[in-house]
Amino acid sequence: MSNFLDKLDSLDRRYIFLIIAIVVILPLIFPLGLPVEPTNLTIDAFDAIDNIPKDEKVLVSFDYGPSTKPEIHPMAIAILRHLFTNGNRVIITCLWPDGLFMSREALEQVADGEFGLEYGVDYVNLGYRPGNEAVIKGITKSFPANFTVDSRAININEIPLMNGVQSLKDIGFIFSLSAGYPGSKEWVQYASDPLKIKTSTGVTSIQVNEILPFVKSGQLQGIIAGMPGAAEYEQLLVKNKIHPTIGKAGKSMDAQSIAHLVIVLFIIVGNISYFAKRKKEKKY
Amino acid sequence: MSFGNIFGAWVTVFLTLAILSYLYKDNPFYKIAEHVYVGVSAAYWGTIAFWNQVWPNLFGRLWPEYDPATLTGFNKFWYKIYNGLTWFSSSIFPENGIPGNQEQNLWYIIAFLLGLFMLARLIPSINWLGRWSLAYVVGMAAGLRIYGFMSSNVIAQIHGSILPLWGNGMGIGDTINNLVLIVGTVTGLFYFFFSVEHKGIFGKVSRVGIYFLMISFGASFGFAVMGRISLLIGRFNILIEYSKEQYGYATIVLLVVMVATLLILNLKKPEPEEEIVE
Repeated sequence: MSNFLDKLDSLDRRYIFLIIAIVVILPLIFPLGLPVEPTNLTIDAFDAIDNIPKDEKVLVSFDYGPSTKPEIHPMAIAILRHLFTNGNRVIITCLWPDGLFMSREALEQVADGEFGLEYGVDYVNLGYRPGNEAVIKGITKSFPANFTVDSRAININEIPLMNGVQSLKDIGFIFSLSAGYPGSKEWVQYASDPLKIKTSTGVTSIQVNEILPFVKSGQLQGIIAGMPGAAEYEQLLVKNKIHPTIGKAGKSMDAQSIAHLVIVLFIIVGNISYFAKRKKEKKY
Repeated sequence: MSFGNIFGAWVTVFLTLAILSYLYKDNPFYKIAEHVYVGVSAAYWGTIAFWNQVWPNLFGRLWPEYDPATLTGFNKFWYKIYNGLTWFSSSIFPENGIPGNQEQNLWYIIAFLLGLFMLARLIPSINWLGRWSLAYVVGMAAGLRIYGFMSSNVIAQIHGSILPLWGNGMGIGDTINNLVLIVGTVTGLFYFFFSVEHKGIFGKVSRVGIYFLMISFGASFGFAVMGRISLLIGRFNILIEYSKEQYGYATIVLLVVMVATLLILNLKKPEPEEEIVE
């Protein structure tokens, strides 16, 4: 036993990488169908979106890029499905340069492919503007001053959906798809809190601890937390007959669960090895 | 399936495997992917920023589209400068102004000059001009952030942590939750109060604060692991998708080629023996 623990202590970390790779790949190829139960945080976000009045204009900000696509993109797809089913009209902004491509991909799939909606009437993509929180602060005063044209270079004054939308005050709800700075926190600081606009968010797992206090204090209406949050939201869409099947996040949850189990196992074995080594050192 | 899609799949697979190959050890595939990433990111960011911000919002407001017959006074001179720029690049400065129907706003000359001053940092004799632009950016950012931070992170969070322990139909669970939140907040703040030595009652309270902080770090670590696994799943989903016949078995072919190349490189150049430090 002591010999085994000594070997563990000097184990080449590449074996651990290999084991993680295997336990992630296998459930992706052979799904197990482990259950996913929505948590209160995801249910709160779902309810907040469900309660937006029909025809209300909703701003969805794509503040992420390809590096966090597996976590955030399934949320974007699920949120757009929910909003368009509700009959809301969607205005897209991007605080991240890559967000423009993410938003185009999501709109192509959901707005054009699944719902057959009309650009400029049912939804509009204003695109990316550099400036981080300065852009948010800017649109609290005026959209046209910050977005003279949309992502297709159409003048903002010629877009029917933007008629009567002078600033963020004319928006009923904000949803930030956020992978860091600028993102959810900045939307709360510069738009949601000063203008008292209801806001919700979907964030990467690593941000959850940082954003949770804003949810607990009521500054944000629920939170979709990482890939598991996205899977829970997809589950809620299926339960509420908004969409017939679960999406990419739900299908990836088997791999996530098995990988977590293996990592927990590694932590336990690593600790046993550490304490055994310490005991041995004290002995001699 | 178009050639573009198949080619894109092969590039995606190559770059993904090249980056993952670093887990084995530093190697030429990883170096290629790293350099491509840095170069493409910089070019992409620069292009997007120029065409989405500088061109419509700065140039578009300084020289909006005009009718040559209506130009009067200062604008006659102003658009002569523009016509000079048209010679420099007709795609950036098209004839008769920047399209988009913006209103002319000459206050943006200040922003234009500050932008030029920032570029002056590249010329040693006038690089001091760049300090003015930086001073503006620092001042503006500090002012903007203090406002947002004070209202949302400080005042709203203090308000959010003033919680009832009973009444209004609260159950025992709510009471415990609120109690934990209040105790965690207060003891956490005690830990970061360094003007008094952490001894006696103060030491015990700050010790409780440390436990709360440790639980918070543990939760952060758990979320970080979850996030990284999610990203790995995303990559593997792509690799599995592109291993299909319609993509020419891109994943399988490239994996075999890369593993074989790494093995050959490893055989040719054995790892140096680690130095023993006594």
